[in-house]
Amino acid sequence: MDDTTMERPLREGERLVELDVRTQDVEINMGPQHPATHGVLRVLLRADGEILTGAQSHLGYLHRCAEKIGESVDWLQYLPYTDRYDYLSAMNNNLAYSLAVEKLLGIEVPERAQYIRVILAELNRICSHLVAVGTYGLDIGAFTPFFYALRERELLLDIFEKICGARLTYAFIRPGGLMNDAPAGWTDQVRAFTDLFERKWREYWDLLVDNKIFVERTANVGVISEEQAIAWGCTGPMLRGSGVDWDLRRDQPYLVYDRLDFEVVVGQGYRGTVGDCFDRNYVRMYEMLESNRIVRQCLEQMPEGEIQHPEVGLVLRPAPGEAYVGIENPRGELGHYLVSDGNKIARRLRVRGPSFSNLALAEHLLPGCMLADAAAIIGSVDIVVGETDR
Amino acid sequence: MASLQQPAAPANERSYWGNVWQAVKSTAVGLGITFRYLWSKPFTVQYPDEKLPTDDRYRGIHYLEQDLCIYCQACAKACPVDCISMDAKRHGKELEWNFFRVDYQKCMFCELCVYPCPKDCIHMGREYALVAEDRSEFVLELTTWQGLTEAQKVRVAEAEAKKAAKKAAKKAAAAAKEDKEGEEK
Amino acid sequence: MSALLPFAAAGNGLTDWLAGLFPAGVPFWILGLLGAVIAFALIMVFVSVLAMFSTWLERKVAGHIQVRYGPMRVGGWHGWAQAIADGVKLLIKEDIVLADADRALFKIAPCLVLGAALAAFVALPFGPNAIVADLDLGVFFILAVSSVTTLGVIMAGWGSNNKWSLYGAMREAAQVASYEIPLGLSLMMPVMYYGSLSLHRAGEMQADWFGLHWYVFSDSFWLAIPSFILFFTAALAETKRSPFDLPESESELVAGFHTEYSGIRFSFFFMEEYAAMYLMSAVGTAFWFGAWNFPGLELLAGSALYAPLAVTVFVVKSMILVFVMMWVRWTVPRIRIDQVMTMGYKYLTPLCLILVFLASVWEWAKAALTGA
Ligand code: SF4
Ligand code: SF4
Repeated sequence: MDDTTMERPLREGERLVELDVRTQDVEINMGPQHPATHGVLRVLLRADGEILTGAQSHLGYLHRCAEKIGESVDWLQYLPYTDRYDYLSAMNNNLAYSLAVEKLLGIEVPERAQYIRVILAELNRICSHLVAVGTYGLDIGAFTPFFYALRERELLLDIFEKICGARLTYAFIRPGGLMNDAPAGWTDQVRAFTDLFERKWREYWDLLVDNKIFVERTANVGVISEEQAIAWGCTGPMLRGSGVDWDLRRDQPYLVYDRLDFEVVVGQGYRGTVGDCFDRNYVRMYEMLESNRIVRQCLEQMPEGEIQHPEVGLVLRPAPGEAYVGIENPRGELGHYLVSDGNKIARRLRVRGPSFSNLALAEHLLPGCMLADAAAIIGSVDIVVGETDR
Repeated sequence: MASLQQPAAPANERSYWGNVWQAVKSTAVGLGITFRYLWSKPFTVQYPDEKLPTDDRYRGIHYLEQDLCIYCQACAKACPVDCISMDAKRHGKELEWNFFRVDYQKCMFCELCVYPCPKDCIHMGREYALVAEDRSEFVLELTTWQGLTEAQKVRVAEAEAKKAAKKAAKKAAAAAKEDKEGEEK
Repeated sequence: MSALLPFAAAGNGLTDWLAGLFPAGVPFWILGLLGAVIAFALIMVFVSVLAMFSTWLERKVAGHIQVRYGPMRVGGWHGWAQAIADGVKLLIKEDIVLADADRALFKIAPCLVLGAALAAFVALPFGPNAIVADLDLGVFFILAVSSVTTLGVIMAGWGSNNKWSLYGAMREAAQVASYEIPLGLSLMMPVMYYGSLSLHRAGEMQADWFGLHWYVFSDSFWLAIPSFILFFTAALAETKRSPFDLPESESELVAGFHTEYSGIRFSFFFMEEYAAMYLMSAVGTAFWFGAWNFPGLELLAGSALYAPLAVTVFVVKSMILVFVMMWVRWTVPRIRIDQVMTMGYKYLTPLCLILVFLASVWEWAKAALTGA
C-alpha cells in the first residue's frame, strides 16, 4: 500500500498529474410539498450522495397567528382555534386550554365531566397515535397498515361524532365542563371499541412493527440520548422513547388520572438502541394499549351527575392573574400560558406546543444519516405542522 | 405473535441465519394478514351511491326555526369568525326579514352560535355537502324569507280580511240605517 | 392473448408460416422483416393489453387488501374500463419537456426502457409452438436485454435535470447491477436441471406425468423451492418492485426517475414496469412451474384448441406470479439502499452460491447414477 500514497517522493521518470476532481454536496429541498413531510414543512437537505451532511428545517408555511387571535376573541370563542393547531388531537387541545382557563377561574369541573374528559382525551390519543403509526408506515414505504389504522380511527371518529357532532375539530371540552352530556348508548359504543381495538392492535404489530424490513429501517436510526432529549425540551413519545420516565398524566396529575391505573411506556431499545426511531414508534404502539386500559377503567368508575360547572356561563371574565397548565398531548406537553386582566378577552395567550420543540431536535439528527432515513426520522418525530407553525 | 404485555427484554441481537429467518417469517406473517383482508368485505362505502348516516348531533349546515327567531343577534355575537349576518325590520310584533345569512367560507361548524340563542331556534343540521363553483354560493340564506314568511303573510292577510269585513259590516249597517231613515222621511 | 393465435397455430414459427403464404422465391430477408414487424405488433398489443389489465388488477388488489374497493365506476363492473380511461388520459395529456432538461436523453429514455422490455418478450415460450424466436440462450438473452432498461432509467434520471430523478437513477444503477448476480445465479439451478438455457426446452421437459412434472415437483424440489424464493426476490429488485422500489420510492424521492415525465412518455415507464413484471413471472413460470403444461392438457394435443389453451395456461400461471408481486408490494415496507446492497451481496449471492454447489453435486450424482 505504501507506494500508492500521494505523499511519497517522486521516483525517477515519474511525474505528478493532478486530476481536477472536485465534488460538491447536493442541496435538496425536501418540501414544502413532499410526501414525507406531513404537511407543509420544508427541510433543506445537504447530501453527499446518499449520506446527509446537513439539514435545516424552515417553518412557518402554516402560520395562522393562533396566539394573536387568542388576544382578540373572547375566552370561549378561542376554543375552536385550539382545535386547529394539532388537528389530529383536537380533544386534547381543547382540554389543555380549558384546564388553563379553569385554573384562572379557580374552579373544578364536576366529576362526571372529568371522567368523560379523560375518556375523550385518551380515545383521542389512540386516534392520533393511529395516524402517527400509520403514516410512519407510509414514510417507511408500507402502504397497507395506514389504511388499517385509519379504519379503526374511523370507528373512533364515529364515537366522537356521536357525542359532539364533529369528527375532527371538536370544540367540545370547554372551560367549565363539556358542551353536552354523553348520549344514550355512547358508553356501549366506546366499550365495544376498546374490545375490538386490542384485536386490531396485534395486526399493526404483526404487519408493520414486527416486520423485519421495518425493524431494519428504524432500529438504531436517529438515536436520541437521554441527555439530548431532556436538553432539547423533547416531550411525549419523543422523550419517553429515549428512556426518560416522564409523563405529565402521572407526574403532575390533572383530572382524575391519579385514580387510574396505567403504566408509562418507556423505550427500552427493543430492537436496537434506546432512543431510536423504533423505540419512539414502540412507545406509541404500547401507549395506545395503555389508553385503551384507561378508557375501560373510566367507563367503570364514571358517576352520574352534572357535566357543567354551574357558575360558568358562556361569557367568562376570569379575575386578573395568570395561569399555566401543561397536559400530556399525544405528541408531548401542550401548555397554555394565559394572562387575564379581568376582561372577557385574554390579555396574553401563549402556547407551548410539543411538535415545535421536538422538531427542533430532529434536524440535528439528520446529518450522517442516509437520505431515506430523513423520512424515517422526521416521521418518527410525528409532527403536525399545524402546531409547529400555529 | 404480538403480545399485549410489553416485552420484558430487548430482542435486538442479530445473527446471519436469524436475520434470514426473521425476514422470511415476518414477511410470511404479513402476507397472511393482507391475504385475509384481500377477501374480506371492504370497509369503505361507494360514496355518492351509499351515504353513511350522520348522527343526530352532527354539526353540519345550520337550520333555523324561522318563526321563533326574534332578531336578537346573540348568535351573531357569539360566533368567533363573525360569519352570521342578519337584517330585519320590526313591525310591532311581526318581523319583516331582509336576510339571515351564514357565510360558509368562514364558518367552522363549532356550534358556539347555538348555545346563546334565547329561543333555541338555531341548530346545527345534518347536511354536510358544501360544494359550489363560486365563492358567493357559500353564503347561504338560512331562511326563505322574502319580507314576511308565509305564516306571517297568512296571519296578516287574515287580520286584513277581518278588518275589511268589519269595515264592510259597519258600512252596511250605516247604509241600512240611512235607508231606514230615508224610508221614514 | 388472442392476438398470439396466428403464430401459435403456425407450426414451426413465424417465418415458416409466412413462407407458406407467399409464393416460393420470395427472399428470406423480406420474410424475416415481415415476421419481425408482425412479431413486434403482436408483442406490442400483448404488452399494452397486459399493462392495462395489470394496472387494473394492481389497483383492485391494493384496494381489497386495504379494505376498500379500488376503481368501481368506469365501465360498470368493478371499474373494468378504468385502465383504458387512464390510458386515453395519458395519451391526450400534454407532453412536457422541461426547458432545462437534456432533451435528447429525456426523449430517448422512455423508448429505450420500453423497447428493451419488449425485446425480451421474443424469447418467451407462450406455448409449445408459440415462441417468436426459440433461442438456445433464451434466458440469458432475456436477462441481457432486460437489463438495458437500466440504461434508460439512468438516462431519464440524468436527462430530467432534477435531483430527485438523479437519485432515483443512481439507486437503480446500483441496485440492478448488484441484483443481476443473484438473479443469474438463482437461474442456474433449473438450468442445470434441464441442461439447457432455452425456456422452450424447459417447457418441453416438464410435460411428463400428465403435465405435472414441473421443476418444483421434481426430484430436485428441495433445490427448486429455495432457488425460486431467491429468484423471486432478485426479480422484485430487478423490476423495481416493492420492497425494492427505491428508484421511485414515493415517500423519499417524490417519484424518482420519472418525476418529470408526463403523458405518453410516463405511460411508457408504466408499461415497462408491468412488462418487466410479467417477463420475470414468465421466466419463473417457464422454469419452475411447468410453463404451459397443465394436467389434462395433453389429451387435447393435436386438436385446434390445444395451442390457444396452452397459451392461456402459460399466461394465467404468469399472472398468478404477477399477482404475488403485487401482494408483496402491498404488504412490506421499503428497504434502504445500503440494506439493498447488503441483502444482495451478503445474503442472496452467498445463498445462491450454496444452492449452485448443492445443485451441481445433486445433478452430477443423478447423472452418474442413472446414466452410467
Ligand atoms: S358554527 Fe361557529 S363559526 Fe359557524 S356560524 Fe356558528 S359560531 Fe359561527
Ligand atoms: S340568537 Fe336565536 S333568536 Fe337571536 S337572532 Fe340568533 S337565531 Fe334568532
